[in-house]
Amino acid sequence: MSKTIKIEPNLQFVKELQEVGGADLKKCYQCATCSVACPMSPADSPYPRKEMVWAQWGLKDKLVNDIDIWLCHNCGTCSELCPRGAKPGDLLGALRNMTYRTLVKPAIVGKWMSSPKHLPILAGIPMAIFAFIWMIRAALVGSFFPLTEDGKIVYGNLFPGDFTIDPLFGLVAIFVAICFGLGIKNMIDGFKANVPETFVIGYKRPTLKDAIIATIKYDVLQHSRFKNCVDSPADEERVKGHQILFYGFVACAIVTTVVAVGHWGGKVIPLLAPIGHTPMPLWHPVKILANIGAVLLVTGLTLLTRRRLNSDTKKSVSNYYDWYLLGVIWVVTLTGIGAQIFRLAGTAPLAFFTYYLHLVSIFMLIAYLPWSKLGHLVYRTTALIYARYVGRLPIDEKLIEDDKIFVI
Amino acid sequence: MASNSILVIGGGFAGLTAALEAAEIGHEVFIIEKTPFLGGRVMQLNKYFPKLCPPSCGLEIQYQRIKNNPNVKFFTLAEVTKVEGSVGNYEVTVRIKPRYAGPSSPDLSDLCAELSTEVVNDFEFGLSNRKPVYMDAPFAFPQRYVVDKASLSEADKGKVQKCDYLDLTEEEKTITLSVGSIVIATGWKPYDVTNLSNLGAGAVKNCISNMQMERLASPYGPTSGAILRPSDGRAPKKVAFVQCAGSRDENHLHYCSYICCMASLKQAQYVREQYPDAEVTIYYIDLRTPGRYDNFAKKILADEKIFAVKGKVAAVEQDKAGDDVWVTVEDAVSCAKSVERFDLVVLATGMQPSLAGASLPIDVPVDAEGFIVGGEEKGIFAAGCAKQPLDVMKSAQSATGAAMKAIQTVRGR
Repeated sequence: MSKTIKIEPNLQFVKELQEVGGADLKKCYQCATCSVACPMSPADSPYPRKEMVWAQWGLKDKLVNDIDIWLCHNCGTCSELCPRGAKPGDLLGALRNMTYRTLVKPAIVGKWMSSPKHLPILAGIPMAIFAFIWMIRAALVGSFFPLTEDGKIVYGNLFPGDFTIDPLFGLVAIFVAICFGLGIKNMIDGFKANVPETFVIGYKRPTLKDAIIATIKYDVLQHSRFKNCVDSPADEERVKGHQILFYGFVACAIVTTVVAVGHWGGKVIPLLAPIGHTPMPLWHPVKILANIGAVLLVTGLTLLTRRRLNSDTKKSVSNYYDWYLLGVIWVVTLTGIGAQIFRLAGTAPLAFFTYYLHLVSIFMLIAYLPWSKLGHLVYRTTALIYARYVGRLPIDEKLIEDDKIFVI
Repeated sequence: MASNSILVIGGGFAGLTAALEAAEIGHEVFIIEKTPFLGGRVMQLNKYFPKLCPPSCGLEIQYQRIKNNPNVKFFTLAEVTKVEGSVGNYEVTVRIKPRYAGPSSPDLSDLCAELSTEVVNDFEFGLSNRKPVYMDAPFAFPQRYVVDKASLSEADKGKVQKCDYLDLTEEEKTITLSVGSIVIATGWKPYDVTNLSNLGAGAVKNCISNMQMERLASPYGPTSGAILRPSDGRAPKKVAFVQCAGSRDENHLHYCSYICCMASLKQAQYVREQYPDAEVTIYYIDLRTPGRYDNFAKKILADEKIFAVKGKVAAVEQDKAGDDVWVTVEDAVSCAKSVERFDLVVLATGMQPSLAGASLPIDVPVDAEGFIVGGEEKGIFAAGCAKQPLDVMKSAQSATGAAMKAIQTVRGR
């Protein structure tokens, strides 16, 4: 050992890690099977063996700034081959959960997101907000379930976009964006101090722009890294489910953007206004895209939920972060579909109530985003870009035959 | 009727030791051996601890003691099929398969050379073939050929029938023995490498098991003692040993097999003695060198061409173009993951009790792994690796202990 390292174990941190998914971390005996089994692990300081010993020793500082927890795509091969049942894959999941909980302030939201006992608060906030709007509007329009003159249900009449939904979600979006911005800054500061820069002969270090483009093109849109993590039909189903769900979200995001741009842009350029006018007829291209999105969401959710329900608990144990996210997306998707069906069916009370739940669940998905598992959308992408930028790549992507890997 | 005889199941080092200890005190002892020859796993080793003797060294003394002692009666190709009675008074049924070879011991090598059929040689762990009339080793005991009748071709059958010393009409026999106590020394088997999916599952050409390495190094083995790659007969320049191949692993053997670290250090020495330029790397989780063995480990590791790397190999793959073997490992001390090319890779596979997945017709408790964990109140005692993973020396000690307990059980009956 060339330099002396003072170990400052944080025993509370070990306990917290065990609670959020790393229950078996103390079983590890450091054989390093996991680092080898991982198809994504780089040559220098590979993971997850080092994370296992850091976790056992309670080295919180090292773990919270560790980029490798985001390079892991949780295929579970390490846990499957682990001779001790220490589930390194679950530990990395637990570390990610820990990041969702503590990376950005206000810390109270992180705490609320960490346990089902706080679920009433998380659901209660949007329920109260939207119930309040509902009551005010009901008083103004004279009905809890207002219909148009020709007897149609238009949600915008009860929850008008201009001065209830859009400003509210606009503020939420700004809040979330600021939180993410701070989170990304925290992450990168941590990475700079802790991630070794790898120098590989024959590997040209990309510019930041190229790293961003490559990450989005390959890792995000094509799931190419994720596809390296497949060694069983269940893994394949997982990647497929994730990709379908991802594209479902992309479709819904496009729809929302088109409607918002059409609506607000229409106030400046009147020509755009019809695009943002809702409800749209079913034949409308944007509406068709929305319904394709819904089908993708249901398909993806079904695949992912089925895999979690059938997964071998010896290999991986699903935790509250997993179920919260799946649950909220299920509610968003089903209430979204339900709101459309009940609207067309003309069952006013049911339609409005379903739409209310849809708004509540969307709030729960978006407003708590930086503290939920969906935060990985931003955090993992950040880490993948950084890893590409500094050349921290899986061993297979390097020139292993020539042994030309150096750590500086 | 009470008996002061003792039954020993298994004719390996532990079984022979237990039998002789009891017989030399004056008890009648029966050894029941499943294979055609005595000596067990030690017969398959090149050299064995603690003194690195060849197997003939210790075993020939045991064979002499058996020959000179009328109290010892042994049955090869024999299996216990039924045990009735209680402590001090067991009635044991033994089925003896025909050997098809008479009691005299002529040299039948001329006949063997004439036979056309070849069978995979299990004694050599598949590294060579044998004829259907064979002996495992030149010093095999009993010094009698055995005929593998099922493998004989029609033409070979004709030749065998003409031989005066062989008799293909011999029938299976069943005998009954009265004994007062039973020693179970059924030993161990190498863990099945086909279970080790990430270590090549036995399908990588030059990735062999440690027991195969013993045969390669043995002067009586398939290469007459030259350590050569099985695929092309080339002398290896870079050799890797993969420790804990299936041991200390919840997915395979849950326990440490005790002897594999020492076996690999010993085999590293075999390689280095033959090839002054060869490099050897031993990949381990922990190098376990109990007691005085640590001195041996220090001596071996002082060799500057023998490297010990802390990190378990978790991937073994065949080279895409040739016969070399690629090993992926993380050096847990330097934190570097690398993929290394070797000429020959040896999996240090562990010991699995022979009773794992099998059962004896005797009511003794075994644990989940197949080790015997009781039965002493019934006058049934486990010896050697049937009880726990041991080296030869400790196996013999445990056999002496079991013999002592068996003697105490039958004494005065």
